[in-house]
Amino acid sequence: MEHLALDPSHHLLATAWFAIIGLFLVFYVLLDGFDLGMGMLSLAAPSEHHRGVMMRSLGSIWDANETWLVIVGGTLFGAFPLAYGTVLHGLYIPLALMLFGFMLRGVSFEFYALSARKWLWGTAFGLGSLLAVVAQGFALGGLLAGMKIENGLFVGGVFDWFSPFSIMVVLGVIAGYCVLGANYMILKFNGELQNHAYRRSQAFSLLMLLAAAIITVWTPLQYPAIFERWFSLPAFFAFALLPLAALFSFYGLFVALKKRAERAPFLWSLSIFLFSFIGLAATWFPYIVPGSLTIDQAAAPSNTLIFMLIGIGTLIPVMIAYNIYQYSVFGGKIDADAPPPQH
Amino acid sequence: MEFLSDATFLSRLQFAFLAMFHILWPPLTVGLALILFALEAAWVKTQNLFFYHQTRFWLRIFMINFGVGVISGIPMEFAFGMNWGPFSIASGDFFGNILGFETAMAFMLEAGFLGIMLFGWNRVSPGMHLFATGMVLFGSTLSVFWIMVANAWMQTPAGVEYIGGKFVITDYWAAVFNPDLGHAFWHMLIACIELSLVVVAGISAYYLLKKRETGFFLPPFKYAVFALVAIAPLQILIGDSAGGALAETQPAKLAAIEAHWETNPPGEGAPWAVLAIPDAESQRNVWELSIPDALSLIVTHSPNGTVVGLRDFKREDQPPIWIPFYAFRLMVAAGVFMAGMALWTLWLFLRRKAHMQADSIGDKPWLLRGWMLAIPAAYLAVEMGWLVREIGRQPWIVYGMMRTEHGASDLPLAAVQWSLSSFALFYLAIGVAAFYFLRHVIRKGPLYETPPRHFQDKRVPMSSMNDEGY
Repeated sequence: MEHLALDPSHHLLATAWFAIIGLFLVFYVLLDGFDLGMGMLSLAAPSEHHRGVMMRSLGSIWDANETWLVIVGGTLFGAFPLAYGTVLHGLYIPLALMLFGFMLRGVSFEFYALSARKWLWGTAFGLGSLLAVVAQGFALGGLLAGMKIENGLFVGGVFDWFSPFSIMVVLGVIAGYCVLGANYMILKFNGELQNHAYRRSQAFSLLMLLAAAIITVWTPLQYPAIFERWFSLPAFFAFALLPLAALFSFYGLFVALKKRAERAPFLWSLSIFLFSFIGLAATWFPYIVPGSLTIDQAAAPSNTLIFMLIGIGTLIPVMIAYNIYQYSVFGGKIDADAPPPQH
Repeated sequence: MEFLSDATFLSRLQFAFLAMFHILWPPLTVGLALILFALEAAWVKTQNLFFYHQTRFWLRIFMINFGVGVISGIPMEFAFGMNWGPFSIASGDFFGNILGFETAMAFMLEAGFLGIMLFGWNRVSPGMHLFATGMVLFGSTLSVFWIMVANAWMQTPAGVEYIGGKFVITDYWAAVFNPDLGHAFWHMLIACIELSLVVVAGISAYYLLKKRETGFFLPPFKYAVFALVAIAPLQILIGDSAGGALAETQPAKLAAIEAHWETNPPGEGAPWAVLAIPDAESQRNVWELSIPDALSLIVTHSPNGTVVGLRDFKREDQPPIWIPFYAFRLMVAAGVFMAGMALWTLWLFLRRKAHMQADSIGDKPWLLRGWMLAIPAAYLAVEMGWLVREIGRQPWIVYGMMRTEHGASDLPLAAVQWSLSSFALFYLAIGVAAFYFLRHVIRKGPLYETPPRHFQDKRVPMSSMNDEGY
């Protein structure tokens, strides 16, 4: 492995793939984030009618949103097989839970529309969303804590991801996704459902700010390597910018909510996520599994990375274009008080 | 039940279960997408409402089917890393790369246009909607291609060397276009089309039998049957050719499929066991019903061509025999049944035209019941085919190079027991619910939706339209 690390062109390719997969992950977190967030919020929707409106508004986009995660999985497998094979093995239980959550939620979309027992599939939808988010939180917490990898195999325990720290991460992720979901609802709906979303967004934004603050303080205290990374000069000034930018976005969000702006809250919450994500990636790089595997160690050889870059890299603008097109086709406000379609 | 306490065996069982449940759905997605594209194109071209109503009816079945296919497909993407970590690490340079292609080229293409295809009738022009349907068709067909590339490579791993526990790519194109790919891709793609045509014919037959909506369902019945007259025998031919190729590429699998133990000596033909009770312990068939020389004829197309027997392989390199042997026979029987139904029905159409009209075909209950029975037969053929393919590859995960037991993640027994039983429970519930709702949609029949508004009046601005939804 060592000789690979010294090869600058291989390092460049591995870095490019780290960035591409990071981009896919950003798309996933932002898009499925509001999707999952709305799912959790639907558990306390003002009425069954409104829950139906919320679910129908996601009907045309949830599949594409979730597919970004499948792409993250597929490209991670190809570009960083060692990371794919060890991380998925180590996070066996949270990932299985996430898959169960996806299933519950996915079938509920289909069957809610067809069934006479709306509450059953509506509740399954909400609980499935919650389960998937909790699982993602534990997976992230587990990953941040690092994984025991020896000779290219995962050798840790099956519950290594479970810790007080990862519980805190779960709470942060729940709050964050709920903020995204509520702000998307503000953007998309009118009337009572929009008012409801303003209230939810305010409450969850406060919780998210609190959780983000706790996690930001806790992380370097828990993990000395991260402490060193953040608080060494001159990196400290660069790292300090990110929480400041996030904090400013929080400020913008609260002001926008107070002014009852319709688009701004969603955009501010996207920027909070973006800065947190960049912070995470900067803290990690050049590790792909924190503390155990660098991107050079985990990356596939150069010929695979080039082959994938030609095949997938060129497709990225195309994928983005048709996703934007699909969103634009279903763009515009939804009248939340209109009667549901007959079928 | 000692095998239930072996984590690797449970990982295999879990993967088999995930794959067998998943493969129930995509074949109809792929084939029905093709049929929907043809119907919608006919509507756009002729503006005949009959085609529009046909499209909308079959689209409702497509929608439920697609949903479950996606939901059961996502776990497959993760299952390799979770349960087969060492395999993923060893083969990732090629296998993972191909799955990456599948997700970015195919999976996303389907997802990116599916919303428009299902809910966009009133939001885009008919031409744009047809384009979206075409992209879903293209994406799902590409998906078949890349998945079969990955799977065929596990059967006939070309273009790589297995060095230090890792597959190193020596020739990219040889690995992609490995020897099994041609048969694998076409056999699967034609299976998708055949299954979908059988589903269309079977559901139509149900209506014709009930004498409901006969004017609506006679044309799809007729055209599905006519297409099957060509497709069903073609599939048998491809299958036969694939079986012949096994003699070269995977002789142990072929021998297991045919419960063929002893290599026939030169100058003598190998008998073909129609039915048998194979016994791995004594390395022979305890009982068999066989036709002399027939196996040589089938495999080598000569009465005394050599067919390698299982005893030529070490015991630890032999695949299990019972499942490949019987699954293969069930698949062939189902395939022959579907081809026979198509030819019989064609003969009736040509010879007894008066009996095959919308108002008279209902008096042929056995024909119509036969087509309803063909639906489970088509699904059976797909499931059995995959059992033959995957169990016949054992004990290898990558044929001849990496053994299955070396590819499994070292997981605690309880973790796999928990995940397997949870998947079983979830899939049972999803399967039952999907079946219930499919039955609901099928029984409700065509809804004769009003066509999209700008089809009626092109001056209506798009912004004043709302979704008709389902």
